[in-house]
Amino acid sequence: MTAAPPVWPLTAGGTLARRNPTVKLALLFVVSLVLVFIFDPVTPAALYLVALAAIGSSTRLAVKTMALGHVPFLAFGLGILVVNALSRPGRVLWEAGPLRVTVEGLSVGGSLALRTLVIGVLAIGFIVSTDGVALMGSLHQHARLGSRITYAVLAGYRMLQEMPREWQTIRQAHAVRAPLRPDGSLPGGLSAHGRAAYTLLVVSVRKGERMAQSLEARGLGLTPRTVWRKVPLLRADWLMAGAVILVLGGIAYLSHVLGFLEGYGALR
Amino acid sequence: MPVEPALLLDGVTVEFPRRKTAVLRGVTLRLNPGEHLIVFGASGSGKSTLLQAITGVVPHTVLSTLGGSVSVKGTVTTDASVVELSRHVGVLAQDPSSGVCLPDVEQELALPLENRAVPPEQISERIDRALRAVDAAGLRHRQTDRLSGGESQRVALAASLIAEPAILLLDEPTSMLDPSGLAAVRQAIDAATAAYGPAVVLVEHRLDDYAGRAGIAGLPGRAVVLGDAGQVLADGTTAEVLVSNARQLNAHGCWLPLEAELFAVTGRTGGLEESCVRSALRDLAFANDGGAPKVPSAGGTVMAARNVCVSRGADRKKRGRSRHITPTMAGPEPPILENVNFDLRRGEITALLGANGAGKTSLLLTLAGLLSPAGGSVLGPRPGMVFQNPEHQFVAHTVADEVRQGRTDASEGFFADLLKQHRLTHVAEQSPFRLSGGEKRRLSVAAMLAHNRPSLLADEPTFGLDRRDTIATAAAFRQAAEAGRALLFSSHDLRTVAALADQAIVIAERTVIARGPIFDVLRDRDILRRAGLRMPPLLDWLLAEFDTAAEIRCVLRGLDAAVSAEAPAQRPTRRGA
Repeated sequence: MTAAPPVWPLTAGGTLARRNPTVKLALLFVVSLVLVFIFDPVTPAALYLVALAAIGSSTRLAVKTMALGHVPFLAFGLGILVVNALSRPGRVLWEAGPLRVTVEGLSVGGSLALRTLVIGVLAIGFIVSTDGVALMGSLHQHARLGSRITYAVLAGYRMLQEMPREWQTIRQAHAVRAPLRPDGSLPGGLSAHGRAAYTLLVVSVRKGERMAQSLEARGLGLTPRTVWRKVPLLRADWLMAGAVILVLGGIAYLSHVLGFLEGYGALR
Repeated sequence: MPVEPALLLDGVTVEFPRRKTAVLRGVTLRLNPGEHLIVFGASGSGKSTLLQAITGVVPHTVLSTLGGSVSVKGTVTTDASVVELSRHVGVLAQDPSSGVCLPDVEQELALPLENRAVPPEQISERIDRALRAVDAAGLRHRQTDRLSGGESQRVALAASLIAEPAILLLDEPTSMLDPSGLAAVRQAIDAATAAYGPAVVLVEHRLDDYAGRAGIAGLPGRAVVLGDAGQVLADGTTAEVLVSNARQLNAHGCWLPLEAELFAVTGRTGGLEESCVRSALRDLAFANDGGAPKVPSAGGTVMAARNVCVSRGADRKKRGRSRHITPTMAGPEPPILENVNFDLRRGEITALLGANGAGKTSLLLTLAGLLSPAGGSVLGPRPGMVFQNPEHQFVAHTVADEVRQGRTDASEGFFADLLKQHRLTHVAEQSPFRLSGGEKRRLSVAAMLAHNRPSLLADEPTFGLDRRDTIATAAAFRQAAEAGRALLFSSHDLRTVAALADQAIVIAERTVIARGPIFDVLRDRDILRRAGLRMPPLLDWLLAEFDTAAEIRCVLRGLDAAVSAEAPAQRPTRRGA
């Protein structure tokens, strides 16, 4: 009975997978917050390269997966870059008819785009290295998230797992009575999807009700309660937090010394 | 000094705001620690409300008035919240998929213990013990979304007992399981209640399945009968209560253990072993002969499967692109079924038999054109299909609109007749989702028949229904066949199959292993064994006793005739509606 206290098995994957989920989430938040005040392209570019290297090595993610994960952030970043380059007033770099690209636009747009990439690569690192269930457990333990909310989210996660199967069955069940298209194929279309979504909603709400009753029957909400397998919060987690903040501050300082760092002033 | 009762109901009356009459009326009941009780009653007699009054859902969660008092292990339910009462009460509900709430089996079992502040170092050991008690030790490291219905239900049972409640409530715990899941859960309930020793309250209408081969001895020792007005009609040992109430329970659509059903119909005890019961059944075969509907002669082929190969992978590969009903090449995934060949003929009802997971649903989806066959072809006009869960088919906000769906061309009279024929006129303006189980099934069948397709496919159409609704569904199918349609339905319930089907197709070992007249197939022991089908004792005896299909049908219909077709005057309460 005096065995070591049970802990969450955070062992699969690379180094980052073994770090505490709440700490990782907090660091993602801190880096994003700091980036809000940076408007030059060089500082986020440096941060991006460091983050990419750190995430790549600590998650051992395949290059292809990493590249695919970048696609939405790249697309979003590119959009921001183009809009800023074309719309921001300043020194004209290139002009053709109504189109006009400014130096300031490129600089601010580039900064914002690179900011997106930094947050993107960190988010990729967070998602691939974090088990959703461990995250909820850790938030419950380390961020004082209430047990009712924690387990409601976990139960919702389970419902989500079953939804694709349910969706497919509902679509098939509806298709049986739907009129065929002239070429003999089954109809798709927005209204068919809308009807299926309504059915899925009703079925899911009722299932949610039953699950809520099950959770209550299991005693969810009783106090005091214990936590079986604690998600560990180790010295290594604090070391990682310190290292990330040091690197962040170091790069910002270096960028300032070299004359690259710009804040809100860049927008004027 | 007497022991403190596990459960004490004293003059309990429950009323719901929008109903004129009380659902429970003056129910007084005392249950000692470790005592096992079964509650009998027709649907609508307040069985579920009784369970809700014990958990505290009535009156805390559901808007209702509770008269009298309910106390669980000395705690009066009106003085404590549902969560607080959960310290004494474990619940195993009907639906396996919502009885398990968390992504991992381990967490699911740890949760009740964490909530009751059990020291963490004891939890692992107790999880092992609970899983062993339900014979599921191997499931500990599994994810819950990968469990079968029977496995889910065993995990849910372990979770409801792990915190050692004084009372375990079983709310139709096996009614949504296939035969193999049912057998496993049934065994687990006996083993786990023996290991943990709670008092048990069981509500169940499929008593023949629940009792199993043990018959009446397979049910809890004590029984209470609730009448239509929510009052206690009888309270005593299960054997006595069943004898004195068998006829009425049978008439109200409870599935009784065979011995009790035969007593209800023949008035003799002793079951099939008793010669006077057997001779009464023989009389049934001949007495009923004139009234039995003629077996319709089969007409031309309306649907044909030619070398059909069924695979779920064939569709997944081209998902999101065209959904043409044209054959595609098989993907790398091995096919579920190969070389499927058969014809469905006008006026003929065919049963699709096979073990769980043999591919019955996938085959029906393929025949309906909803999954592309990985090889071969399905010939004939577009068939209709009724799904296992009728809710999945519902698209409209009222019953009247539901049957109109996709049929804008038909006249008002046509729809009125259709609703009348399927006894849905009185709920025409209600939401389909608010109907009872039997009404939902009838609506799903009516809405499909509205399309006048020459063939109708049905996936487990009588699953989870009480006996009255099962008989009504079978009657609707027979009517559709007599109107010249070809029917194909899958089912685990061999008794319903024997009463309804003309032909059978058996799938196992990834192909069709037998097809032919239903009783020829059912007489073939080797086929039944290979397909994992278990013959109910009554059918076994009928096949040995009678030579012709007509005689066997007469007995089965004679037994069904003892079930009254009309629902009790009072509308049943809807659980969770």
